[in-house]
Amino acid sequence: MIIPMAKVRLIGPRSRLPEALAALQDIGLLHLADASHGEPVDALPLTAREQRLQRQLTRILEDTDAALAAMHAAGRRAPAAHAAPDLPAIARRARRARRAAEAIAARAAGLAEERALILKYRDFFAAFEHALAGVARFPHLTTYAAVVPAHERAVIPQLGDALRKEVGPEFAISTHELASGDVALLLVLPKSFAARIERALADAKLPEIPLPAGYSGATLAEAVPRMLDRLKAIPRDAEALARERAALAAQHAPALLAARGPMHDRLAELEAVARCGVTAHAFTVEGWLPLSAMPRLEEEVAKRFHDEMVLETIAREQWTAKDAPVVLSNPRVFRPFEMLVRVMPLPAYGTIDPTPFVAVFFPAIFGIMLGDVGYGLMLLGIAFLIRRKSRVGTTLRSVGDMAVPMAVFTIIFGVLYGEFFGDMGQRLFGMRPILFDRAEGVLAALALAVGLGFVHVVLGLVLGALSMRRSAPKHAVGKGVTALMVVLIVLALLAAFEVLPKALFMPAVIALLVAFPVLILTEGLVAPVELLASVGNALSYARIMALGTASVMLAAVANRMVGTMGSIVVGLIFALLFHLVNFAIGLFGPTIHALRLHYVEFFGKFYSPGGQPYRPLAHWSPGAPKDLTGSEL
Amino acid sequence: MNYIWAAAAAAGVMVFTALATAWAQSRIGTAISAALAEKPELGAQAVIMVAIPETMVILGFVVAVLIILRAGGAG
Repeated sequence: MIIPMAKVRLIGPRSRLPEALAALQDIGLLHLADASHGEPVDALPLTAREQRLQRQLTRILEDTDAALAAMHAAGRRAPAAHAAPDLPAIARRARRARRAAEAIAARAAGLAEERALILKYRDFFAAFEHALAGVARFPHLTTYAAVVPAHERAVIPQLGDALRKEVGPEFAISTHELASGDVALLLVLPKSFAARIERALADAKLPEIPLPAGYSGATLAEAVPRMLDRLKAIPRDAEALARERAALAAQHAPALLAARGPMHDRLAELEAVARCGVTAHAFTVEGWLPLSAMPRLEEEVAKRFHDEMVLETIAREQWTAKDAPVVLSNPRVFRPFEMLVRVMPLPAYGTIDPTPFVAVFFPAIFGIMLGDVGYGLMLLGIAFLIRRKSRVGTTLRSVGDMAVPMAVFTIIFGVLYGEFFGDMGQRLFGMRPILFDRAEGVLAALALAVGLGFVHVVLGLVLGALSMRRSAPKHAVGKGVTALMVVLIVLALLAAFEVLPKALFMPAVIALLVAFPVLILTEGLVAPVELLASVGNALSYARIMALGTASVMLAAVANRMVGTMGSIVVGLIFALLFHLVNFAIGLFGPTIHALRLHYVEFFGKFYSPGGQPYRPLAHWSPGAPKDLTGSEL
Repeated sequence: MNYIWAAAAAAGVMVFTALATAWAQSRIGTAISAALAEKPELGAQAVIMVAIPETMVILGFVVAVLIILRAGGAG
C-alpha cells in the first residue's frame, strides 16, 4: 500500500533558521516542499556567497567522486569525521588525486589496449619468429606480412605467379595455418622490389598487417621479438600500476571519504534554504512525512526548540495528491515484489499500490506456465542458494525471496499437470494429471489461461474504478461498467457454448444492451474500443498456454533422447543437457511474459504513475539518494 | 486432403506471425539498443518492450493449434 502522508509547516524566528534546518537534517523525516507562497511569505534566495559555496561544493564533490572511482575506493567505508572539512585543502586534494588517478587509469587502459593488439596477432608473429630472426641478419631484405582469410586461400598460388612475373625468382613465400583456419603469409624479398610488391599485394587484395602504434617505423623483423618480449612484461607493468593506484588511494581516499558526507550535507542544507519561506522576522519550512512519523517529529521539535517554534499540520484540503511523495509499505512476504513495481515509475499518491496483487498473480502465472515438479524443485534449490549467499535488503535477496513462491507454484501446478521433468514422472513413478495433461489437453490449457486472463483484467478494471472514485467519479463508474460488461460478455459466451445453462444467454445480452448506453455516457465514444481492448487483453493470456505447451513438449523431447541415441549414457547426457536448456528457457520466458501481462494488460487498467519518491532532508550516506521504503521508516 | 490444407494453413499462420514478430522485434531492438546506450537504467523495461510483439507469434501458435485440432489432428 501507499502509506498516508501528512504535510506540516514549521514556523520560527528567522534568526533560528540555520539551527532549524540542521535539526530537521538530524531528524531525517521531512521531505521538503516550497514554502514561499508570495506576499507576505517570500522565497529566501541564496546570497552570492552561498551560491559560490554551492558551485564550489558541487565541483569538489565531482572531483572527489571521480578520484575515488578511479582509485577503486568509492565503495569503501568512510572514517569518522571529527571536524568540518577544510574546503580549500579538500578541493586541492580532490583535484590532485583525481588527476593522478585518472593518469594511472589512462596508463592501465593503454597497457590493456597494447596487450589486446599484440594478442590479436600473436599466433601470426609466433609462427614466423624464427624466419624473421634469419631475415634480420640480411639488411638488403625486406618482409611483408598478411593474413589470408580461409575462404580465399586460393589467391596464394596466384600471388606467387604474379610475383614471379614481376620480380623473377628472388623472393620466398612462407605460409602457416592459424587456429582460426586463416593462413598467415610471410613474403621475403630484396628491398629494391618494395614498390612493385606493394602493387602486387594490392592487386591480390591482401592488405599488409598493421603494426601496433608503438612499433611504427620498425621493420617486421625488428618489431616482432620486441612485441613478444613486451607481452611478457605487460602483466608486470600492470601490477606496478595497481600498486601505484593502491598507494595513491592510501594517501588520499580516507580524507576524501571522510569529507564527502559533510560536503553533501552542506549542499543539501543550501538546497533546503532555497525552499524556505521568510517574512521580515520569521521563517517557514514546509514538507511531507509519513502520518505515522508525526508524533516523533512533534516530540523532536518540542525537545529541541521548546516554545520557540511552532509545528502545524496543513489540512488535507490545502494540498494536492500529485505533489505528495510516495512511500510503499507492504507486509514482509509481499515486499520483495516491490522491486517489480519499481521498474515502472512510482504510482501517484492516493492511487493503488499494485504490489500485493503482483505478489499473488506473478508467481501464480509463472507456476501455471512452467508447471513441473522437477523444474520447481530445481528453482527452489536455486532460490534457497541465492537467499543464503545474499545480504538482507539487496536486490539479489529480493530475487531469492521472489523465487521461493514462484518455485512453490511451479511445484503445485506440476502436481496438477502430473509432470516431473516432462513425462518422466508418468513413465517412472506412474504420476497422473489431476487437472489435465498439457501435452494432450491443449484446449483445457487454453481455457484455463484465458479464464485467468478475464479474472485478472476484470480485477484491474475494478481497481481502476476504486482508484478513481475520488479524483474522477464519472470515469470510475465507466471503469466499473466496463468490468461488468466484460463479465457479461464472458457469461453470454459461456451460455452460448452451453458451458453454463443456455437460459443465462438472453439475460446476459439484455444486461449488456442496458449497460452499453451507460458506458457511452460515462466514458464517451471511445468506450466500445476500450471494451474490445479489454477483451483482447484477456485473450493475450493465451500465451500462458502457448509457453506451457512448448515447455512440456521440450521436456518430453529431452526424455525421448535417452532411447534414441543408441547408447544409454550418451542419451542420458543429451537428455540432461536438454532439460537444463529447457529449464533456462523455462525461467526466462515465463518471467518475461508474466511481467509483460502485468505491466501491459493488468497495470494498464488502473495504474497511475507519477508519484515522486520520498527523499527527506537527512544526513548523506553512500548509495544515497535513494527512495525510502516503508520498512526503512 | 482437408488435413493437408489445414496443416498448410497452420504452417502459414506460424510463418507469417513469426516473420511479423521478428520484424517488429528487430525494429524495437535497434531503437532500444540506442536508448540503452543513453540510459542503461532502462534495461528492465527494454526486455519488456522486446517481448511485446511476441504476442503475435504466440496468438499465431494458438490459432495454428486450433486449426490442427479442428482438422482432427492430435489433441
